[in-house]
Amino acid sequence: MRASILALIAITIVSLLIGFVWLPSAHSDFTAKGLWDAICRAAGVPGSWGNGDVVAGRPGTSVVLLPAMRTATSESAGRGGSLALEKCTMCHGARGVSSANTPNLAGQYPEVIIKQLLDYQHGDRPSAAMQAIAAPLDEKQVRDLAAYYASLPRPRNTPVTDMSKVPRLVSVGDPMRNIAPCAACHGGMDQKLGAPWLEGMPKDYLLAQLADFASGARANDSHAQMRNMVRTLTKQEIGEVAEFYARQRTE
Amino acid sequence: MFAARRLVLAHFWVAFAAFAAAILLGEWQMYVRSPLSAWVSNPEHYYRSVTAHGTVMAYVLPTLVAMGFGYAICELALKRPLVGVKWAWIGYWLVIGGTVLATIPMALGWASVLYTFYPPMIGSPLYYLGVVFVVVGSWIWVALMAINLRAWRRDNPGAPVPLAMFGNVTGAYLWAWTSLGAAIEVLVLILPVALGFKDTIDAGLARVFFSWTLHAIVYFWLIPAYIAFYTIVPRAIGGRLYSDNMARVAFVLFLVFSMPIGIHHLFADPQVGAGFKFVHALMTALVSVPTLLTVFTITASIEIAARLRGGKGAFGWVKALPWGNPTMLAITFSFVMLGFGGAGGLINMSYQLNETVHNTQWVTGHFHLIFGGAIVIMYLVVAYDLWPQLTGCRPLPAGLMKAQLWLWFVGMLVLTMPWHWVGILGMPRRMAYFDYGNPALAGQGWTVVASTLGGALLVVSALLFVFILWRSQRDAGNPEPFTFALPAHPTPVPRPLNVFAPWVAMMIALTVVNYGFPIAQLASLKETSVPAVRMGGP
Repeated sequence: MRASILALIAITIVSLLIGFVWLPSAHSDFTAKGLWDAICRAAGVPGSWGNGDVVAGRPGTSVVLLPAMRTATSESAGRGGSLALEKCTMCHGARGVSSANTPNLAGQYPEVIIKQLLDYQHGDRPSAAMQAIAAPLDEKQVRDLAAYYASLPRPRNTPVTDMSKVPRLVSVGDPMRNIAPCAACHGGMDQKLGAPWLEGMPKDYLLAQLADFASGARANDSHAQMRNMVRTLTKQEIGEVAEFYARQRTE
Repeated sequence: MFAARRLVLAHFWVAFAAFAAAILLGEWQMYVRSPLSAWVSNPEHYYRSVTAHGTVMAYVLPTLVAMGFGYAICELALKRPLVGVKWAWIGYWLVIGGTVLATIPMALGWASVLYTFYPPMIGSPLYYLGVVFVVVGSWIWVALMAINLRAWRRDNPGAPVPLAMFGNVTGAYLWAWTSLGAAIEVLVLILPVALGFKDTIDAGLARVFFSWTLHAIVYFWLIPAYIAFYTIVPRAIGGRLYSDNMARVAFVLFLVFSMPIGIHHLFADPQVGAGFKFVHALMTALVSVPTLLTVFTITASIEIAARLRGGKGAFGWVKALPWGNPTMLAITFSFVMLGFGGAGGLINMSYQLNETVHNTQWVTGHFHLIFGGAIVIMYLVVAYDLWPQLTGCRPLPAGLMKAQLWLWFVGMLVLTMPWHWVGILGMPRRMAYFDYGNPALAGQGWTVVASTLGGALLVVSALLFVFILWRSQRDAGNPEPFTFALPAHPTPVPRPLNVFAPWVAMMIALTVVNYGFPIAQLASLKETSVPAVRMGGP
């Protein structure tokens, strides 16, 4: 029994010595600052993280999406309605359905509207009109507007009856290019927090946004999600996707 | 048997019914992924199915088999009624309740996070609670095993614990300690997020906790198979166990070394230091010691059987083996699959070789071959062997049993060998579909068809297995009293191989050394949490 315990201790010490002293010494990154630093690095605690020349990029967005943004009260929606009449209806339509190639807002998820308004306020999503309109809104007004538009009925869509008519990018994406299906986040299969409802959006609006994501002109998508999806798409593919989401629009 | 017959039967029936259902899901997954079927229109359905298949096969089936077999061993090896039958039923109903509780959200698509949880994905809290209930039910079993052993020791002071019970209690203690990692992960990190108290989760720390459970759980699955190797196989083929003490050495080595090695599942995880990855890899290699000891001991035991039947020569004895005996077939198949799977395992555990196969279909092939193949085929043997005792039926039909075991063996090889092959080619695992129209992938389509066909054989085999058990249960017979294998050379058991405390202490100490620092470091690092990704459901 004593021999077993001693053997176990010996095995442990030998493996620790190999793992923390011998192997790191074979790698110049580990040995640069001496033995103790090598041991620390092997334990996952480097003396410094990187060599300090990491350039901090401009964050694309500073809004943190929270599931709590989904909840809204009817009083909030009521206040939002009055505010919308004054601020939004000129471009986004009397009941949130656009006839001016601006995005539809009727039935949009509240966290989507909150995020975009905050991004306009912070200057993370450039737009001459919207930055000016969003700037004076306070936090409560932003939430009220989101609650109001979420409460409106969505535009009536033509249901998809023939799956073969759905572009493959929408239904299955393109794994070889690391492109997830649109429907995995934007509804259809699943809806992820912060991903807008797209069915019935104006085609010109979709085309413009996809082009901006592809070029990087629009960069307020968390973790560059949309930029990474769109970057490798061809113009024709962008057209097909935009056509698909817009074609279900009934004027 | 005395008081546990209905108890064991209940465990086995639920285990095997769940097994038969989950195997259908597995086969469906291979079918929809193969070129035989159109792409699955909704990948979420695929992951829902993977979650259910994994949860049943990894938690429900082995836990119920280990529990049921453990209760049976208590009575058959200690030759006394099980203490705490009422508690055992409570444990059973906790496992059943947990299974039902987890199945509902899984079936509704509220918990398609796969059985390994994978934070920051977060499913319905009901799913995690269900898994917790299954584990808590099994903890009652752990306690009962310890209590029964103590009661027996009190009445038989100084006597050597029967080998089957020794292995059984090893499995129980191993499980008690190893399940702690996932329990902490679920209770401390996942459930607060699933219940909506938090929106972020420390995924890196959660993965380290899961690795604590993830590897040793495999040895918890394996222990019933090893008990069958040592205490059922030699008797069933008419031989003797070559060395009783060697078996005990193998069991205690599993206890010490199977636990603190799980970080070899995290070779690609940046949050763990390279030094700990090496230490865990080296200790993983040490687990091959009890495995090889077992292979040698059991092969020697089989040779004894052959020589008792008149086998001669250095290799000529192989011909004298009772090849018509289903258990002989099963142990052969199990060892062949253990050989291939073990060799693959050595590749997985070495840091550099792992790079080539990490997260590929190779890994799926590896664990199906080891668990679904080498281990589950022994579960089947355990059920076949105990069935006359449990149901008082006539001997089971040998022809059907052999057909069933052949199907399982061939099916498992046809399923897993193509997976190993395409894994080396780089096919990722956990994919709902592949674009076989892509020239780069077109050449791999046949392998998925082959695996689908292998899976079909396994489905037939599993259904045949359930049919044999169901059919036999209705044929009343007069079974002989159950016996475990006898050692060839009865030798006294040294005291250290008759107690658990020092080995359990070593297991815990080694865990503290191997996991203490990474866990403390990750737990104290600030700003390591990421937003939870909620999967479906309310």
